[in-house]
Amino acid sequence: MAPHLSSAGGDGAVVPFGISAMPGEPTLRWAGHATSVAEIERELGRIWALPQAMAARDGAAERHVAARTSVLNLVVVARSPELGEGAASTLAMATGRHPSRTLILVPTDPDGPGWLRAEVRAYCMVPRADAPETCAEQVYITAGGDTGRHLQAIVAPLLVHDLPVTVWWPGDPPFGVASTSALVGTADRLVVDGSHWTGDGLDRLAALAALARPTLPVSDFALMRQARWREAVASVFDRPEFLPYLRSLRRIAVTYATRGGPNAEVSTNLVKPIYHVAWLAARLELRVARPLARVGRPLADGSRPARPGAPPEPGRGLRALLEWDRGADVEIVIRPVISGMPGGTTLRVELLAERRGSELRAEVTAEAESVHVLVWQDGVEALERTYHAPRLTDVDLLTAALEAGSRDPVAEGTLAAAGRLVGVGAPGAG
Amino acid sequence: MARPAKPKAPVAPGPRAGDDAPLTARELRLARAGRKRSAAKPSGNPLRGGLRLERMPDPSAFVLFGATGDLAHRKVVPALFQLWRTNLLPHEFSLVAVGRRAYSDETFRGQLRASLDQFSRVLPIEASVWEAFAGRIAYHRGDFGDPLLYESLAARLDALDEEHGTQGNRLYYLATQPSAFAEIIAGLGRAGLDHEQHGAGWRRIVIEKPFGRDLTSAIRLNREVGKVFRESQVYRIDHYLGKETVRNILVFRFGNGIFEPIWHRRYVDHVQITVAESIGVEKRGSFYEEAGASRDFLQNHLMQLLALVAMEPPATFDADALRDEKVKVLRAMEPMAPGDVAANVVRGQYGPGWVAGEPVAGYREEPEVDPESETETYVAARLFIDDWRWAGVPFYLRAGKRLPKRATEIAIRFKEVPHAMFKESNADPEANLLAMRIQPDEGILLRFAAKVPGLGLDVRGVNMDFTYGSAFSVDSPDAYETLILDALLGDAALYTRADEVEKAWAIVTPIIEAWAGAPQPAFPDYEAGSWGPDAADVLLERDGRRWRRI
Repeated sequence: MAPHLSSAGGDGAVVPFGISAMPGEPTLRWAGHATSVAEIERELGRIWALPQAMAARDGAAERHVAARTSVLNLVVVARSPELGEGAASTLAMATGRHPSRTLILVPTDPDGPGWLRAEVRAYCMVPRADAPETCAEQVYITAGGDTGRHLQAIVAPLLVHDLPVTVWWPGDPPFGVASTSALVGTADRLVVDGSHWTGDGLDRLAALAALARPTLPVSDFALMRQARWREAVASVFDRPEFLPYLRSLRRIAVTYATRGGPNAEVSTNLVKPIYHVAWLAARLELRVARPLARVGRPLADGSRPARPGAPPEPGRGLRALLEWDRGADVEIVIRPVISGMPGGTTLRVELLAERRGSELRAEVTAEAESVHVLVWQDGVEALERTYHAPRLTDVDLLTAALEAGSRDPVAEGTLAAAGRLVGVGAPGAG
Repeated sequence: MARPAKPKAPVAPGPRAGDDAPLTARELRLARAGRKRSAAKPSGNPLRGGLRLERMPDPSAFVLFGATGDLAHRKVVPALFQLWRTNLLPHEFSLVAVGRRAYSDETFRGQLRASLDQFSRVLPIEASVWEAFAGRIAYHRGDFGDPLLYESLAARLDALDEEHGTQGNRLYYLATQPSAFAEIIAGLGRAGLDHEQHGAGWRRIVIEKPFGRDLTSAIRLNREVGKVFRESQVYRIDHYLGKETVRNILVFRFGNGIFEPIWHRRYVDHVQITVAESIGVEKRGSFYEEAGASRDFLQNHLMQLLALVAMEPPATFDADALRDEKVKVLRAMEPMAPGDVAANVVRGQYGPGWVAGEPVAGYREEPEVDPESETETYVAARLFIDDWRWAGVPFYLRAGKRLPKRATEIAIRFKEVPHAMFKESNADPEANLLAMRIQPDEGILLRFAAKVPGLGLDVRGVNMDFTYGSAFSVDSPDAYETLILDALLGDAALYTRADEVEKAWAIVTPIIEAWAGAPQPAFPDYEAGSWGPDAADVLLERDGRRWRRI
């Protein structure tokens, strides 16, 4: 069904100047409504047809308003109003750092009649006090019924020509659904947050890995949050005396937090722990000899209250086997520990390498806002370093994703390796 | 928590990092059979692939000489603090400030705090971030000529290695008067502070401009530096190269396919490079008396911009490939014979005038300036690059103080169309112009001809103007942030190499020497707030050209 047309809308107007915008702070400069795609298009056109009006204050021209900024189209699909509002507030802050034409789509009430309601806004900001103001558009679209099921039909006419399209899908993307495929099919980049998927996330991880291709790079906030971990692990092998051990890696163990309780095994998101292993597997070109599989007894259920800090019970979690091209095995252990940290948080990454009778053990742990590295060579402490790892906000992550180039070998390789690790039909419900 | 400064374990025998030789008999056999030994090159860390932006400098001590000076307070420390607050410096970091004045650690930290309130790019300063940074600052007093300074500094750095886990890595930063460079370098050498021993950390030195006063002094200074440090340890800073828009010249030229084919004498009529400042010499009168525009701008900033515009595409973006290409440009510029200087180079000095609606004093009335000074505050030059690409294309360079506005721009003027087709138009189409604005209002402008709407066929030049601010609403890092981080990471691409410095001096020194032997110039010869002396206009008019209106 085509979007419902109405004579209403097209009522956009300049938002009266309030307190002058501070440098770097986006300010709402235009607000209007629309009830059809055609009206949205008209409204977007009107914003830029009235530059003088936008610059007016108390009847006098105040500041030169630069042209619309135009670096990309950002399409956000939020499957609930809460997600939509959350995304809009993140975008309001990210707009200042990376302006784009943003379409926030909130499909709702799929069984009702087709309808569309849109709020068309322009946010402007000055990067510095003496710089001209630049503006970006944000269209918040709620669509019901059939209209909401054909998102691509809404998006396509609203894209700025020749600019790349990034699709940000907060929450659980419905991979495998035709409308999702149509939308993602036109994207130049897909942004997701695997650590917020419900369940253990394994099925979605497999689907995402299958979706990624060189023409559709994927930015996963879960992977981006681990940048300092990767830096910490890589730095161990920057040291010439440790580098040869890397090719003699025998074991990778990742410890992650879980709250325990009923269904903890399948309700704790495992995307981040798996990414640690997948990154190493990708960089070292390790083959998956045996994909991840659950082992051991289930975690403590309601009859055995979980205690934060409880020692890990041996033999639980996930196991896999990787192998070098020369045939040597690398054992993979992903194990839960009951913790007060959010479920799925990585607590420790351990590497064990053995070479010519000598052993290198590296342990990377999270400590508040830092990542700590300790290395032992033949049982003797040989290196200690600490890396600042402040928690990145969604604004930081989204900005980094929008600024990422089309080539991201870390994400590409890691996601592919994660797909192989999880395998088709991996255990757990995504 | 105890934090070992150095590995406690003995280094395992055998591993030969960075060595391409196979490591085991089996691997040797595989290598003979032509099979690859591993997924990654054994010489590099395979985990580094793709981590470029996540790279963290090694643990290190930043040893700042001239720490009480203006440059340290205005630029170097604010840049370090900004890197620290954005988590780009390692946790195991210390700043050792070396100066002549008697300060305690606490007093000096207080002074830096006050300077940051004034000069930090991002304000306000968060108290907790400052406290963490301040805890890594130590002040070390001493006279640069005193050998004991370096002995005590070595002991202090060793102690700080233990305290902060900086692992013996040291970056020496010379933010002193140039006259102190040689004695500091010699002092570092005598105390063995330059030695890079296996496993004991790296040693690098950053040297601020001016690097020498002429070719002879530059060669001498390079020799002094070379006695102590290897060239790979030396980072000569020209902060222009760290500017975002200067780096963008490389992206613009080599990241776009459409410009490089016309970047050639066949299409380019001439190139103009302007570095204009509206300010005078401020409080740097005594420095400027010694330097003048030729030493302060021509030898470094203007020559660097020229090299970036004119160089051939480097094969890679690594330091030596880039610098090799820049040096080739400078080598292709024949130093001027004394008799040619007057016809190709113009110098000027500003007298009193008006800038931005304010009356300003002439140069000779500035503080610390000789009332009879012959120092030039303006220089314009017509230079040629004798190579296949640029033969016969003039490069007009100008730099000056107290010009009407602050502007740094590079303009490529293309040749006119070969045939005037639009005879009915009341004006011929102008030649195309491509201008790269370095500062302010960073951006790129292309000027081309368009038809004036209407029944006739009138042609006018119009501008297609791209401004950075309209595409990227992010504030760029300061040049010092970029360059200091590069030095800590060991990337010298944006630093100048010894041969580059000497080649630039080889071009500028004959000009300075010819002036020394010429009659006294009729200074002042341009009014503050004008675009320089008339002779500069004549320089281009003789070629049938004129300076761009900026």
